[in-house]
Amino acid sequence: MATGDKNLTGWADQDHVPGIKSELLELNMGPQHPATHGVLRLLLKTDGEIVYQVTPVIGYLHRCAEKIAEGVNYKQWVVYTDRFDYLAPVCCNHAYVTAVEKLLKPEVPERAEHLRIVTAELSRIASHLIALATFGLDMGAWTPLLYCFREREEILNLLERIAGGRMLYNYFVPGGVRYDVPDEQWIKDVLSFITMLETKKIKDYNDLLSYNKIFIERTADVGVIDAETAKAYACTGPVLRGSGVKFDCRRDDPYSVYHKFDFEIPVGMGEMGTVGDCWDRYMVRVREIEQSCRIIRQALDTLPEGPYQAIPLNKMVKVPAGAAYSRTESAKGEIGHYIISDGGQIAFRNKVRSPSFCNLQVVEKVGVGQMVSDLVALVGSLDIVLGEIDR
Amino acid sequence: MEQKAIYELLAAKLGEGALAWHEDEVEPWAEIAPAAIADACAFLREDRNTDFNQLMCLSGIDWDGYDEAGKGKSVAILGYDELGKPEVSERIADGDLGVAYHLYSHAQRHKFTLRVRVPRAVAEVPSVAHVWPTAAWHEREAWDLVGIRFTGHPDLRRMLLDEAWEGHPLRKDYMMPAKWAGVPMDGRPYADNPFPTPEPPAGGDQPGATGPAEA
Repeated sequence: MATGDKNLTGWADQDHVPGIKSELLELNMGPQHPATHGVLRLLLKTDGEIVYQVTPVIGYLHRCAEKIAEGVNYKQWVVYTDRFDYLAPVCCNHAYVTAVEKLLKPEVPERAEHLRIVTAELSRIASHLIALATFGLDMGAWTPLLYCFREREEILNLLERIAGGRMLYNYFVPGGVRYDVPDEQWIKDVLSFITMLETKKIKDYNDLLSYNKIFIERTADVGVIDAETAKAYACTGPVLRGSGVKFDCRRDDPYSVYHKFDFEIPVGMGEMGTVGDCWDRYMVRVREIEQSCRIIRQALDTLPEGPYQAIPLNKMVKVPAGAAYSRTESAKGEIGHYIISDGGQIAFRNKVRSPSFCNLQVVEKVGVGQMVSDLVALVGSLDIVLGEIDR
Repeated sequence: MEQKAIYELLAAKLGEGALAWHEDEVEPWAEIAPAAIADACAFLREDRNTDFNQLMCLSGIDWDGYDEAGKGKSVAILGYDELGKPEVSERIADGDLGVAYHLYSHAQRHKFTLRVRVPRAVAEVPSVAHVWPTAAWHEREAWDLVGIRFTGHPDLRRMLLDEAWEGHPLRKDYMMPAKWAGVPMDGRPYADNPFPTPEPPAGGDQPGATGPAEA
């Protein structure tokens, strides 16, 4: 509303075509639309193909998980974090336990930290694969979807072997992880999978999609988010880095043991058009897959022996009174948890700042003046997931 | 910059508006008078020494029933009883409402936390949406779920719930609704269920037959 209004001032009063009354067309994109990646509704005001105003309408998946957090104990609520970003649930687990541990201050064993990073990065790769696949699908490329889902399936199998679930893992607990590595073979399988991904599969995606002429025509110079806009709207993750800002929580505000590992932060460079266009955001994700592979290899090569839980599973957690905000880098951006504890077993308040929620808001500004079909590219390149927006 | 130094800068600018600096906490925070919060945020955003260009998070809080002693004895929220009826309480909620702002500076790489508290009866806080555009949605969410009215907000509608929803769910005295738009909220069958299970048609209709039955 806020940004679109000034473009609309007096629009309908102008005599665009003499003698013919003209007005803007209101168009509902969603909530049941394949290009909106879930139950998102975009209320558009259009003049032909040009979008004059975009108003996202969200809340169709709202469960008020923050209210549930005030009724269940700290360990029970890990389950609900899985349901936020259901494409990268382990990253959401990580965000929540990091916040709890900031108040609880347990001595998390090194082995648990390494296992957390391995599973979280695997989850990040799975999420990025979906992002590439569905973005390609939005742009009319069907085949990469099959390739990406094939590799994602491998990741789901690996995570199933360590955590027991295929989609929703509930793998982390405050103070460690729920299960140890099942066997030595699991480590070998993860290493062979990431080697295969690095040497062959990423090249396949690049050949099929990234440097495809039609794909570049559809995404380069489209939906440009400049660095200042991205910062003002608190965009994070690949959206911020796609705009050329070299910022990653894993490097710049380290948590867990990320400081021990060596990895690059890919940023958008405007190779195909302008810095911050849809292609840049897409390509940041492809390059992040490579970096995640590097992190996984280092974490597994230096996997220490020892315990993997600081607190026994059957023991209740009492968190000392206080308030703390922590942020971690998930696949979509920064997940923040603001936990207020009264010293008991249940959080007094648990506010979740989800990255997709903040990233989506930028559509109100950047979507104005685009073609309707380019808006599909813009929303697809933001890689939102509605479970996290609506919470 | 040290957080303490940031607070001193802010206190020098605001004067009466800066109430207190809470140093001995897991996360130190500054307490600001509600009327001064928009000025405080604008100052922290514009000043070159602080340069807080990102609002990481804005959280609405209902402090009602909070156990200040830190023994975990806060008043429990209201849910549903075993029969699926909403729990009720005689207690009159009188606690304050609050907002917490978590800021970050990309250039200076420092963080800062501000908090305001307003009485329940006048739950109004000046909006900071003109300082950081991202605050607009966070404030709409805080209005929707906690019921804090942000004055000067460009478009303060509910964010996640329906415009016709009654009450603000994250308030501690919020009573769960028994039904919404005629639909029971707890999933149990009610006597006045608006969607009763249809009786199987008598007279041996073909399974899967569509259209109105012939008279």
